[in-house]
Amino acid sequence: MSFVPGQPVTAVVERVEIQKLRQGENLILGFSIGGGIDQDPGQNPFSEDKSDKGIYVTRISPKGPADLAGLKMGDKIMQVNGWDMTMVTHDQARKKLTKKREDVVRLLVTRKSLEEAVKHSKCSYPKH
Amino acid sequence: MEDYDVRSAASILASVKEQEARFEQLTRALEEERRNVNLQLERANLPPNPPTSQPLPWQQVVMQEQSPSNATSLAMMQEPQEVVEETVTIEEDPGTPTSHVSVVTSDDGTTRRTETKGISANVKVTKMVKTVTTRTVRQVPLGPDGLPLPEGTSPLGSYTDSIDRRYLKNGSDRFITPQATSTLTRSYNNSYNDSYGETPESQYIRHYGLHDGYTDLTDNYGSLSRGVNYRPPRYPYMPNSYRPENSYTLPIRKDDYGHVAQPQVPMGSSTVDLNHSQPERFQPEPYGLEDDRRSLGPEEEEPYELEPDYSTANRRTLPGANRGRTHREPLRDGPRVRGYPDDPIEAELIDERHPYIHGMYSAPLAQPERGSMASLDRMGGRRSPSIDSIRKDPRWRDPDLPEVIAMLGHPIDPVKSNAAAYLQHLCYENDKIKKDVRQLKGIPVLVGLLDHPKSEVHRKACGALRNISYGKDNDNKVAIKNCDGIPALIRLLRKTNDMEVRELITGTLWNLSSYEPLKMVIINHGLQTLTNEVIIPHSGWEHEPNEDSKPRDAEWTTVFKNTSGCLRNVSSDGAEARRRLRECEGLVDALLHALQSAVGKKDMDNKSVENCVCIMRNLSYHVHKEVPGAEKYQDPSALQAPGSAGPQRKKKDDAGCFGGKKAKEEWFNQGRKNGENDKSYDTLDLPKRTEPSKGFELLYQPEVVRLYLSLLTESQNYNTLEAAAGALQNLSAGQWTWSSYIRATVRKEKGLPILVELLRSDSDKVVRAVAIALRNLSIDRRNKDLIGSYAMRDLVSNLPSGQQRPAKNLEEDTVVAILNTIHEIVTDSSENARSLIQAQAIEKLVAINRTSQSARETKAASHVLQTVWSYKELRNALAKDGWNKSHFQLTVTATPKATKNGKPGYDDTTLPLMEKNQDGYSTIDQRDKDCKYKTGDGSVDLTEREPLKMFTFSIARHSDNERSVRNDTNRKHYIRSNRPAVSLVDACDVKPQPVDSWV
Repeated sequence: MSFVPGQPVTAVVERVEIQKLRQGENLILGFSIGGGIDQDPGQNPFSEDKSDKGIYVTRISPKGPADLAGLKMGDKIMQVNGWDMTMVTHDQARKKLTKKREDVVRLLVTRKSLEEAVKHSKCSYPKH
Repeated sequence: MEDYDVRSAASILASVKEQEARFEQLTRALEEERRNVNLQLERANLPPNPPTSQPLPWQQVVMQEQSPSNATSLAMMQEPQEVVEETVTIEEDPGTPTSHVSVVTSDDGTTRRTETKGISANVKVTKMVKTVTTRTVRQVPLGPDGLPLPEGTSPLGSYTDSIDRRYLKNGSDRFITPQATSTLTRSYNNSYNDSYGETPESQYIRHYGLHDGYTDLTDNYGSLSRGVNYRPPRYPYMPNSYRPENSYTLPIRKDDYGHVAQPQVPMGSSTVDLNHSQPERFQPEPYGLEDDRRSLGPEEEEPYELEPDYSTANRRTLPGANRGRTHREPLRDGPRVRGYPDDPIEAELIDERHPYIHGMYSAPLAQPERGSMASLDRMGGRRSPSIDSIRKDPRWRDPDLPEVIAMLGHPIDPVKSNAAAYLQHLCYENDKIKKDVRQLKGIPVLVGLLDHPKSEVHRKACGALRNISYGKDNDNKVAIKNCDGIPALIRLLRKTNDMEVRELITGTLWNLSSYEPLKMVIINHGLQTLTNEVIIPHSGWEHEPNEDSKPRDAEWTTVFKNTSGCLRNVSSDGAEARRRLRECEGLVDALLHALQSAVGKKDMDNKSVENCVCIMRNLSYHVHKEVPGAEKYQDPSALQAPGSAGPQRKKKDDAGCFGGKKAKEEWFNQGRKNGENDKSYDTLDLPKRTEPSKGFELLYQPEVVRLYLSLLTESQNYNTLEAAAGALQNLSAGQWTWSSYIRATVRKEKGLPILVELLRSDSDKVVRAVAIALRNLSIDRRNKDLIGSYAMRDLVSNLPSGQQRPAKNLEEDTVVAILNTIHEIVTDSSENARSLIQAQAIEKLVAINRTSQSARETKAASHVLQTVWSYKELRNALAKDGWNKSHFQLTVTATPKATKNGKPGYDDTTLPLMEKNQDGYSTIDQRDKDCKYKTGDGSVDLTEREPLKMFTFSIARHSDNERSVRNDTNRKHYIRSNRPAVSLVDACDVKPQPVDSWV
């Protein structure tokens, strides 16, 4: 899933709603994220386009809240509670996901299988 | 050459002999004609100003032709002019004395353009002129020796006369053989068609200036041909190779060359010319007939020209064909060349062709030129069929980067400009290539080209620099700066009037301005120039307005947008930058004028307005401290009051948006103490001004309040809204006289409801800016009361409530800002505290205090709670709602410093706010906000195709400054500036990040 910043992006997204789980002091979601505009996109094992600096789900703890909600490893997180996640730093994403006052996070994610399901047309910009 | 070989010597001999015989006849006739013509010319010269009008109807022209004297005189007149076309007509005329001539012209007219039957000779001429640009002529001046002079002035003027005469003679020669001429002309017409639109006469036109001949070629071929021409060393060899083939295969070509060559003929007396011209024709014979034909022109060529192949082939194509052959047999040609030396003209001719032919194939240097051609082609520049065919040739390839960069230093201008354009194209959206260009030291060369006199060259160089300057790689920006690119850009801005170039310059500067260390450099070199050259003229502001005329409106040009964006960026570079901008003559005036014009036209959503407001906001920051003479306006009550300030509060002296808490406190207390202050608020007596304020004084005149309020009311652009609110916030901060006027003026202008309304904005940053502005405004006691009564609900509704999802997702900063504003409002006002309770805020505050993960939010909420609890008269009411003291105490985590003496810790509350304010307002672009802001609507359904709109991020910096040559669209792609600085959130976020984190 790649896009050109500044251009509208057409993506097939799925909404995933995760109920946070209280673990002692913390509310956890049960997955980990990688990526962000401050990270080296080349190291992202999940992105198709190695220049994609989006936030990706890197690990899922089994039976955790994210797992139960249907989040998958390798999903690209597009939004968290309405906040865009395609152009944020890693830490900004983390913060958005871990707001203490929110028990529920709603994610918009996209993944390859979704993409393939729907032929989409994002060829409007030249590939560089 | 093979052809040549194939021909048997015998046949050649035979043909040569035949030709010779013919020539002799012709020459005799020619000689006569020449004499005639010369006489006529002489006569013609005498009349100073013959009929001048160029657009002569056809008949008139004919008439002139018949009366040679007129025609010639005309010609004379026009010659001096650079316009080649006119001369051409003239030339025809002299030739025309014979009846054929007129026929010829008519033929041409009809054949070429059927629609225009009565085309005058002039018309044709003009067509031709198009192909021949005078400019080019100058570009490729030839020395007397026939060698191009790199940058010299064109010899045109000097030799025009003689050349003309020569032509005339030539023309006459042609015409001497009547049959030949008529046929010839027709053939010409056919062959050249519209594309060339050139009859033999037109070709003459070219000859007229040698350069013209060149220009044609060069234009068509792009830089290649020119480049070749310029290599002196090759010349000697060229002629040889060239000739043989030409003679046999491509007659037309000869013409071209012949023509070209002719102009070169050194200026001399007419007799000299005669000599030259004769030898030209005749000498070639032994070697090949071609040369003769070309000089003689039409007659002999007829057969060839009539052939369809030739007709399609323009001159341009011909040369290509020549090259192919030529390069095969270099050796042979060599010897022949030597044979020529005695004939200067021949040598010249050879030289000219030679380079041309040569360059394409055999010269090692040819590659770069090819490159340039290729780039030309790709860019969709003019394309002649020949170029296309050249491109198809497998030998052509794209130049690699070092070659392109090398071409930037090519002696020939079009090569430079094509190389630069190609570079711009390559760099588009390609960070790797930008980096490579930098490492290959291409940037200094491009910067050097900015000073190039040719607009084509500096324009393309600037375009390349703009693309290179764009993007995350600050090293590129630094590289431009390091080779003095910024002063060079500014210089060019001063020099050029070309809008496109100006757009490119300002776009480049905008890009450069996004990098912190370059801001001051831009200010130092370009501030006044940018202001004078762009901001002031485009803003419509006039230093001394003409009273009769209506004030001009601002023009939202790209240049203005770019420049204002650049200044917006540099205005965030701290106190010194602000000072420089404020004191830049005319800048503030022009910006204000532009904004007022925007308000007047209700055109407030565009980027230029946004930029202007942001500059104004930035310049308003700390205005009460930084403006010269600010001391005079320090509020006397504030200064005298220090001792009387509420002793219960310990304040640290803290420089912040309030200009030091102490001062603020003073203000505050004073307002509280002296209820009579209220009166003065409503009857403002502003400091008396002896003369209208100007320059930076305009920043804080109460008049600006209305402007900002209009923007806040009308604009749909969140960035503009945020900036306008921020400007009010900056102006209402501080304890000097002007800020108190501003605070009162906002109220009087009914600005409070406008601001409160904006608390409902969907935009986080707007809410934040408005909240902080309200906080500063509430330093004014009456404002505080009003805000307490009318804004409380909206403030509270922006607070998150524990479990329930808040209506909006607001940033931590925004939440803290709102909490601090609430705190300010309820402080010293139990009435306001009561309305806070009535707004159901306690529940939210308690929830934040207990559960917020943000320490700052927790702390800010607890301060509000403590303040509320401090009003004993309210405790009953609170108790009734089920609250007790424990709810109003600090939570364990937040305990640290809060309440030492049981009073709300003023310092703590304000601290974070101030920090934020400073950064937030001193710098414009808070990218964080921007990027958050871009989120479209959050709710999307499962597996729908969902267009996520990403284009909202309009950071002042780069935005759409990079353009490729090819697709000249305004795409914004990189949204994010690389630059580290200023964003509020970034400050905390920019620590080294884990690659992977559990959530």
